[in-house]
Amino acid sequence: MALRVSRLGFGSACLFALAFLSAATLKADAQTDEFVQMIVKLIGDRDKEFRAAGLEQVRTAARGPALTQLFAAQLTKLDADGQIALLSALADRGDHAARAAVLDLLGSSHDENVRAGAIRVLGRLGESQDLPLLIKSLSAGSQVEQAAARRSLIEIPGETVNQALAADLLSESSSAKGALLDVLATRRASGQAPAFLAAIVDDNARVRRSAMAALGQIGRPEQIAPMLAGVLKARKGYERDAAEKNVALVCERIENPDQRGAALIEALNTVDAAHRDELLSLLGRVGGKKLIDFVAAIATGPDGARRQLGIDALSKWPDASVADTLLEIITKASDPAERGQAFRGYVKVSANRDGRSDKERLDRLKQAMKAAKTPEETTLVINRVRTAYDIDSVRFVLPYVDQPQFAQIACETIVEIAHHREVRDPNKAEMDKALDKVIATSKDAVVVERANRYKRGETWQRPGREAR
Amino acid sequence: MLADAFEALKKFDWGTDLGVLTPIEEAVIAAHTDAGVSQDLENRLNAALKGDLSRDAHGYVCRKLAIIGTAASVPTLAGQLGGKEQSHMARYALERIDAPEAGAALRDALTTASGSQKIGVIGSLGSRRDPAAVAPLSKLLHADDPAIARSAALALGAIGTAESAAALQAALPSANGDRQYVIDALLSCAEALLASDKQGEATAIYKSLSGEQQPRLVRLAATRGLLACARKQA
Repeated sequence: MALRVSRLGFGSACLFALAFLSAATLKADAQTDEFVQMIVKLIGDRDKEFRAAGLEQVRTAARGPALTQLFAAQLTKLDADGQIALLSALADRGDHAARAAVLDLLGSSHDENVRAGAIRVLGRLGESQDLPLLIKSLSAGSQVEQAAARRSLIEIPGETVNQALAADLLSESSSAKGALLDVLATRRASGQAPAFLAAIVDDNARVRRSAMAALGQIGRPEQIAPMLAGVLKARKGYERDAAEKNVALVCERIENPDQRGAALIEALNTVDAAHRDELLSLLGRVGGKKLIDFVAAIATGPDGARRQLGIDALSKWPDASVADTLLEIITKASDPAERGQAFRGYVKVSANRDGRSDKERLDRLKQAMKAAKTPEETTLVINRVRTAYDIDSVRFVLPYVDQPQFAQIACETIVEIAHHREVRDPNKAEMDKALDKVIATSKDAVVVERANRYKRGETWQRPGREAR
Repeated sequence: MLADAFEALKKFDWGTDLGVLTPIEEAVIAAHTDAGVSQDLENRLNAALKGDLSRDAHGYVCRKLAIIGTAASVPTLAGQLGGKEQSHMARYALERIDAPEAGAALRDALTTASGSQKIGVIGSLGSRRDPAAVAPLSKLLHADDPAIARSAALALGAIGTAESAAALQAALPSANGDRQYVIDALLSCAEALLASDKQGEATAIYKSLSGEQQPRLVRLAATRGLLACARKQA
């Protein structure tokens, strides 16, 4: 009997608990529903701040794909501003359940900003099957849509995305190769080297430049040799310079400078001999002891045309380690043009601010002055002395202020050195005397004004600096 | 040493080297773990408070009582609530003394203090979040002095109970001129209620402020509040 009562009691308790739970669930559902309805109402509000209050909840609350779809369904009911704001909130919500509604809106909207907003969402919520659409948007539509597509392609996650982008790049029909290359470079898609290497010899200069720039950013030493084809394909001038710099950037990833030089020589040997000389100036950009002898041999060799290329390469050296080689060419060259080319190169590398002391720089320029044969060469040396921030540089240049043909350039160099407070302040008396001479001699109002300012301990702002 | 410091306190004023009061500082630290030291120090501070102190020294004593003061200090401090120069620091101590007597003293002062001292007392009752102050503060919502009415509303908002909210709701239709301070106080109440998981009460306040007749910013604040309530319930 007692057991039966107990069983009945247990059954009643179960029923009561069930009823209580059902009531609690219903209440919770009703509360959720009220919350969601409130959000939906706010999303449609024309007042931006009320709308923002609702969108904040879309971003962070009321989770779940069903609610995401409910929020996304509001897209079609909003004006353009509202659509853009909701798209951004859905992207932040990060639920892929919104993707279909976003694609629908992208297909139906005539507002470029709305379409751009939808494209941006695909960067966060999209899938690999959206890649063709995004790639197409890189070159089609308005600029805002193109920019949005670029950002989305950079952000869209997925292991196969880089491969898919590279595959499109390799297809003949791709109309947005340049932009795709930029995207791949920003995605650090170093595994897609074949696509980059194919693009460096493209007939379109924009594509070539982008491909070389991409390899400059993410290329590996084993790509140095194939990149040389891109240097040769580049038009002389800006494009060639940029291409060479990108190869130099990849070379810099080899830590050991000797190995760097060896790798470049090895890469050069893979190039057809007829084109090898065209790449000599690239050697100058990379620098390193290993390459000095290689280039010096060409710069002092029997072939006049190759000598010029060799001297040009030495002149582009990133540091002054080739200065002695160039000085030797200056002293031994029989051809005045060759000598002049070597002289300009010597002054250029000597004045390089490459980690040597100002005294060392000045000593090199003093040697250049001894070798100078023409007024132009003297002027060049006086000009470059300004790269040695030292009171001795002022002492060296000061006598030229008395020589009318060099007075102006000497005055300019003195004020340039005086610009540096660390030279000016410890030598104030001597510097003031030199500046007085500049003030009395120079015919250039700016130079005189600068000299006066430095005497008063004031600074001077280079014109155009504010704009930068 | 402590006696010397209290002697020095009698002459202490702005600019005096604080070093002379170091024994008092050390006693305050010791008072945390030694009831005997605490009681002795409180007695000394109260005695000092009854003497002739500079304003800076008075403030110093009140700051120490705010840390170690008990019900025993309340009568001395309460006696200073009407003083123009002493009221502020006396309230500073009373606001922080965790004894019901401190609240009672402040409530009593509502009937004796006037002018800015009264406004200060009202503010202190709000800072203490003293539920027993709701009734006397509610009466002040209709004070002739708008500054008193406003302070009472803000104090009720700071107390943040259902009772203080009801008092504010009741005062809303008849509030003098600018009703904004009552609304601000109601919003504070609703926030406090929501923070203490009383979503129902908070929702009722927010709903009452979300009608179209309310100014836009009030409706916006109420809407945000309603969302927060609904989110907590969902």
